[in-house]
Amino acid sequence: MKKKLTLGILALTFAVGIGFTMGNTVEAGSALDLNAKAPKTEVKMKGVDGAWHTINGVAGEKGTLVLFSCNACPFVKKWESRMSSIGNDYQQKGVGVIMINSNDPSKVTEDGYDEMVARAKAKAFAFPYVVDATSEVARAFGATRTPEVFLFDAKGKLVYHGAIDDNASNANAVEVPYLKNALNALIAGEAIPTAQTKALGCGIKLRSEDS
Amino acid sequence: MNIKAFTLITMICLSLSLGCGKPAVDLPQEKGLSIQQATAEQVLAAVKNAQGHVVLVNIWATWCPPCVEEFPDIMKLYQKYQDRGLKIIFVSADFENQTESAKAFLKEQGVDFATYQKSGKDMAFINTLDERWSGALPATWVYDASGNQRHFWEGKKDGAHFEKAILDALE
Repeated sequence: MKKKLTLGILALTFAVGIGFTMGNTVEAGSALDLNAKAPKTEVKMKGVDGAWHTINGVAGEKGTLVLFSCNACPFVKKWESRMSSIGNDYQQKGVGVIMINSNDPSKVTEDGYDEMVARAKAKAFAFPYVVDATSEVARAFGATRTPEVFLFDAKGKLVYHGAIDDNASNANAVEVPYLKNALNALIAGEAIPTAQTKALGCGIKLRSEDS
Repeated sequence: MNIKAFTLITMICLSLSLGCGKPAVDLPQEKGLSIQQATAEQVLAAVKNAQGHVVLVNIWATWCPPCVEEFPDIMKLYQKYQDRGLKIIFVSADFENQTESAKAFLKEQGVDFATYQKSGKDMAFINTLDERWSGALPATWVYDASGNQRHFWEGKKDGAHFEKAILDALE
């Protein structure tokens, strides 16, 4: 009995040792789950209009659209006109809209404040385009890439997370306009057709946590 | 043999050598730089074909600064560990009209083997490759010689991080 126990302990120790030395590792983004409440809704972020904005402050009666974006990313550039048009349109339909840039401009100079002001003007954003000055909002959302969108209902629960549509390169060849479908369903009080989607995007260049 | 039969046989031989339907996917590290379109299924097939080797898959793009920054470290490690069986599968996420830029970058970095360029819809590509992947670039997977996925990470890492994962898979 004693021998069996010793062997058992040895085997367990060996197995645990293997686990520690050869364990698989995964370091992937972990975004908000569907139905989760929006975090960091009271964080004040400076907009390209010079005013301070919060997620709660822009919330619409139908819901709130949070777009993580930036200036530099080629995927953003591909989708930017569509983001502008969707943001401007649905803001008129009762959905609050805010576009957040969480990139560290010391890593990506094109993402500086002045460049953001110029971009918002060039693309005619009628919604706040703001600086996540410590990247804390992106961290709290678990946002990993640009563009990446989070749509909340009127109660502040996440109902859609993911991409703008299924074709970054060609707006005329889009087969499924994911975000528009989600927005239309939200406004109509219907179930969101596809609540989670994905697209390639530029990794967000977060500021260091002690910034 | 009459001329008709000769022509027919020649055409069959030609079509067989050029391949019909889907293009074949080269094994990684076939000598000579190339970049060919590949779906996620084809990338995974290339990983499977390389069984017996430790395989590192890296999704990158010329316009992705962190991807470009970590690239030389990956190549240094390839030079260091290729004799121990390390193979690298680079998959460019550059847009369709940027293939030549991607190829020029690969050449500049000393890549002298077959590489790929992502093809197909994003969501299918991402989820087929790995449902845990958010779609952010760069992204890296390390498989051991038995074809088991050992490590996966999103975002830029330094050479030491890559080396640790490669060594773990090699052991």
